[in-house]
Amino acid sequence: MTIQRSVFEAFRVASTELGMCSAAWLFTREVAAAGGDALVRELQETLGLEYAALHAVTERWLGGTTKPAISTGEVVRACAGAANVAVVGVEADWLDALVPLLGDAKVTLLTSPLVPVDWERLAANFGGRVATLDMSAVQQLAGARSVLLTFCYGTRGDQTWVDPLWMRVSGGDVRTQFRSIVGWEVLGTAMQVYPRWLTETSADDFAELVS
Amino acid sequence: MASLVLVAILVGTVVLQAVRPAYRLTVVLGGAALSCLAAALFGVGTTRAIFADVPWDVLVLLVGLGFLTELFVATRVFGVVAAKVTRLSRGGPKRIFLLFTLVMYVASSLVNNLTALLLVLPILLILFKLLGVGKKYLAWTLGVLLVACNLGGAATPIGDFPALLLLGRGVMTFTDYLMTAAPPTLVALAVLVGWTLLKVRPERELVRDPLTTRLSLAVMAALYRRVRLDWRRFLPAVGWLVAMLVAWLVVPPSSGVGPELVCWLGVGAALLSSPKVGENIIRTRVDVEAALFLLALFVMVAAVRQSGLFAAAGQGLAALPIPAVVQLVLFLLAAGVLTGLFSAGPSMAALLDVAEALATRLPPAAVYVGLALSVCAGSSLFLTAATSGPMAQILTERAQLTDEQGERVRFGFFEFLPVGLVAFAIIQTVAVGYALVLVVTRG
Repeated sequence: MTIQRSVFEAFRVASTELGMCSAAWLFTREVAAAGGDALVRELQETLGLEYAALHAVTERWLGGTTKPAISTGEVVRACAGAANVAVVGVEADWLDALVPLLGDAKVTLLTSPLVPVDWERLAANFGGRVATLDMSAVQQLAGARSVLLTFCYGTRGDQTWVDPLWMRVSGGDVRTQFRSIVGWEVLGTAMQVYPRWLTETSADDFAELVS
Repeated sequence: MASLVLVAILVGTVVLQAVRPAYRLTVVLGGAALSCLAAALFGVGTTRAIFADVPWDVLVLLVGLGFLTELFVATRVFGVVAAKVTRLSRGGPKRIFLLFTLVMYVASSLVNNLTALLLVLPILLILFKLLGVGKKYLAWTLGVLLVACNLGGAATPIGDFPALLLLGRGVMTFTDYLMTAAPPTLVALAVLVGWTLLKVRPERELVRDPLTTRLSLAVMAALYRRVRLDWRRFLPAVGWLVAMLVAWLVVPPSSGVGPELVCWLGVGAALLSSPKVGENIIRTRVDVEAALFLLALFVMVAAVRQSGLFAAAGQGLAALPIPAVVQLVLFLLAAGVLTGLFSAGPSMAALLDVAEALATRLPPAAVYVGLALSVCAGSSLFLTAATSGPMAQILTERAQLTDEQGERVRFGFFEFLPVGLVAFAIIQTVAVGYALVLVVTRG
């Protein structure tokens, strides 16, 4: 069994629909189940060179970590008391863990027609707890009890990497409209190859960068 | 002269809207207004008289069943079923082809086939994106899926517009249509599926990679990991649909409670069972395009009818020096080809008057079910013959599918054509053959 070209396309779809990190863990898990560490290593040396997050996850897998460490304590604290939590980007595994812990806060996924995702289906996975709103209307969610949250990958010093969608929302004017801007580090390790599908930004963009 | 002008307006409008689909509604509404003007100037009839001839009950059925479909959409039933079907298919190309075809046939027989397609097709396209597809496999799978939509729509009196028109006109009862039309649609579907699997064998071009299949199924499971059926909305909606079906089956037309009133009451009650969603559906989900398109067609056809042309065509057909059965065969073949060229709405609305003339000399079921099946055959001939075709093309283009080598795979008019020709030949043959059987058994 080897990594065929069709796996590349499958990962592209999965990373768009589930999030880069969630897709990386899912692929690594399934590839390991199908062909063991040897196939995971092949995945790292082929698809992993294209997707830095996948490369990092396979590296952790080969180092003995077989599931992501999803820690919600800090992010729940950062969102405590918020009436609105607006989320930019998707990370299915992390949202699954976080949403039930947000109490009465209204959770909204900011959508974009530029990203080919079935947002309604994505929201349907949360049993009515998550709403969707076009990104251009983000100001509707602004306020003193609103938090803007996105996922960060491979934070290193004051550098971090985010979903390119974040760049359409972030900015000095938006920062002042929310109680806080929160970045949630989900990869948990530095990336060793160039993250071409992510966008570099400063960790200073975030009032809180939690992990 | 009046007839010629009115027919010219009708045909010109139908051709123009097909050539310029971006201005479809403007064209048909303009054509309807011109028909009314011509009818008034030639003394054929006033606009009030033409509007009195419009089958409003069919529009009530169309809009009402559209509402019910939207209520089912809100229950997420389509996504849940499609996800289950994906799991059942285990990523096998033949099983995907068979199961999705069957789902579309059943869904289209109960709800608006365009909505059903809009909800099921994106799931199938994601699966194709994950697995990778070949040109032939994509063309035949999506092509047969579209034909299954047409056949499902023709199988029941509430599945699609041509059958609704028969039901609304009262020329066939709900039960009679269902019992007569469903079996031949199943036969046609079985033959088409059999032909595809045994003769075309589109899955042969695919190079299956067990790892990609495994990953694709895992991703699909993750995408639908917590999508659940909304039972609170689903059960009342199904309950009212069943009640409507029972009423359609048992309430006699002589009671004055027609199928359109059953639909109105049943759908109203179903929407009331989820009042907030129901109100939202009524306010925002009326298929204005379909309703206005059909209204405009009905107006143009009514104007032609008032000129006496359809009656003359019916008499002309009856006067042909050939047996009535041969007239029926010619009529059905013409209906199929005309539908392929002009789509189901205009063909059915115009041909029904001629069918009524034939039904006075032949068993009505043979004429009407034969006509519905021929219209179904025509709808399956070209990708552009039914609304669902261009919609499937747009969705597939957006999905940017690729094959195993990463090459773009397309689904358009010419890719569909081989499927359309085979489907047309099969359904049209079944239509003619079945009509002849009915002539013999019910004559």
